[in-house]
Amino acid sequence: MTDKELLEKLKNIVTPYVQDKEGLENFDEDTDFLNDLKINSANLVDVILDVEDEFDIEIDNDSMNDMLSVLDAKNIIQFKLAGK
Amino acid sequence: MIGNDIVDFKRAALQSNWQRRGFLEKLFSENEQSLILNSEFPERRLWLLWAMKEATYKAHQRRFKSPRSFNPKQFNCEIIAGDTTSVFGKIQIRDFSYYTHTFIGEDYLHCTASQFQQKKTVQKILSHSSEIKQELIQAVSELKKLPQAKIRFEKDCNFIPFLMCDNGKINCDFSISHHGIFSAFVLSLT
Repeated sequence: MTDKELLEKLKNIVTPYVQDKEGLENFDEDTDFLNDLKINSANLVDVILDVEDEFDIEIDNDSMNDMLSVLDAKNIIQFKLAGK
Repeated sequence: MIGNDIVDFKRAALQSNWQRRGFLEKLFSENEQSLILNSEFPERRLWLLWAMKEATYKAHQRRFKSPRSFNPKQFNCEIIAGDTTSVFGKIQIRDFSYYTHTFIGEDYLHCTASQFQQKKTVQKILSHSSEIKQELIQAVSELKKLPQAKIRFEKDCNFIPFLMCDNGKINCDFSISHHGIFSAFVLSLT
């Protein structure tokens, strides 16, 4: 999976939880889930569960701890996919 | 340091499907899950425990000026006392304890957390208003005897907000929360 494909999937996952749709227009690795997209913190768990389903991986508590931006999520997903 | 969290029940019901597989397990310990599932009003109990964790996370992050993280399971909630409208809790994160007080209304709940059991604070809850920051500035202005017009918000490198007056940082302990139609601040008086 290319970085571009991964980011596209991630964008689709977070879109329903985004409260500042403008933040989606410049969606890239630097996009922050909380500051740029204004995702409610209770919905971060939905993002994590959707990522688990989409990529068929398990995000453990330590990884979940750091998943606050697109770059964080990308790194964690790629790390987990490599370990499959 | 203090932290707060407000939950708009109607908004929460729209935003979160707490019954989806994995939701409770990612956020709550087994003990907390049973507190939720054995409650007469599981959804309210869930948001109570969530707000206790969020408010405590804010107090803890401010206390240690730590980077942001999303680790709700590390905050272990215990309900000490209370009834349907007012709940006192204790939260443990590693070796640190915090105390919470939550007011539960018809449409929202508001939780305040502090490392001290008796903490003198002033708080304000607004609905349908975008004025909460201005209300806080007014309260700080009165408390610190500073001119309102000169007080402004800034955020530090960990995204923790603080207040400035001219070029000086105001030494005050506060927390703001928004959700749905509600917003709230809590300000320490000591």
